[in-house]
Amino acid sequence: MESALALVQRQVADHHAQRVGRVVLRVGALAGVEVESLRFAFDVVSRGTPAEGATLEIESVPALVFCPTCQREFPGTDGFIFACPGCGDFCSEIRQGRELELSRIELL
Amino acid sequence: MCLECGCSQSVPFGVKVLSVIAPRLLQPRPSAPAAPATVAPPATAPQSLEVHTSLLAKNDAAAERNRSFFRQHGQLALNLVSSPGAGKTTLLARTVDEFGRTERCAVIVGDLETDNDARRLHRPHVPVAQITTGTACHLDAEMVARGMAALDLAAARVVFIENVGNLVCPASFDLGEAVRVVLLSATEGEDKPLKYPPIFKSAHVVLLTKIDVAGVLGFDCAAAADNIRRVAPQARLLQVSARSGEGMEEWYQFLRSHLPPAVAVAAPTR
Repeated sequence: MESALALVQRQVADHHAQRVGRVVLRVGALAGVEVESLRFAFDVVSRGTPAEGATLEIESVPALVFCPTCQREFPGTDGFIFACPGCGDFCSEIRQGRELELSRIELL
Repeated sequence: MCLECGCSQSVPFGVKVLSVIAPRLLQPRPSAPAAPATVAPPATAPQSLEVHTSLLAKNDAAAERNRSFFRQHGQLALNLVSSPGAGKTTLLARTVDEFGRTERCAVIVGDLETDNDARRLHRPHVPVAQITTGTACHLDAEMVARGMAALDLAAARVVFIENVGNLVCPASFDLGEAVRVVLLSATEGEDKPLKYPPIFKSAHVVLLTKIDVAGVLGFDCAAAADNIRRVAPQARLLQVSARSGEGMEEWYQFLRSHLPPAVAVAAPTR
């Protein structure tokens, strides 16, 4: 979360802004990040910074896995175990769902 | 602050070298500079900015620098991850004693405190750097870079990075390794891969360790292997005991098969 805040503060400085109204994060289902922990950490680390009090918006990105046998993608819904609905093989090629990025901010 | 557990990463970490080859000691990392206090007229209207930057971008960039160093020097770098007490140090001690006789090894080991592991691994022919992380629960790529800089790695063929004992946070931090090794010991539960899936998901190889005592403990190796296969079908699975030596030859074979071609002339030091 400190790295997110560092990115936000750089934008604030670059654009000579006073405050941050909104911070939007993109978080993949497999990013290994607990959204509630992110919110808590944001509240703590943003205190006393231009981002204090800003709305934290989380965009969730669902998991998408590729099956090499069936040559197709399927949604990874069962935690971290990806059994292909076509052939039943356990798959490991994650095409989407690891995202963890600062997507957008709104400066006031 | 770590992404998962909320530990503070802003504490300075230390690097201590136990090596006759590399006598240099590094200074701790200075604390991050405060954000510049820019005073400027307020913007007139809310301004929306598309940023699209990974929160791990800084670590990933450092990891890429480490990776290209290893590549240029023809080195195999491995990141060893497990719970505390799964046998990382014992595995490495035997590995540098046996495998290390034929292939030059170096070790970078991370713990919150003490240089006990570096002392255990210290051999005249093995450069070892101990990184103490303070309160941070994992190594990051920058810490590893400092460990690398403290050691004379030019002659090494294999660089083992022994991570802080933790099955959660190290999953998110690329250190620049070519191979991620996750250890699961017979003293743990067979269902650990199901309970801590991200780290197993990221493994190239999973080592079932302490298999010499599996029978006594009633540890079901087949059930553990099945759980690993479900969560991490991409990972090679090896069963070893660093005490009895069982399976160690397969482990060395795995290491040999992943060695990149040796580089004839060492690239200039970073």
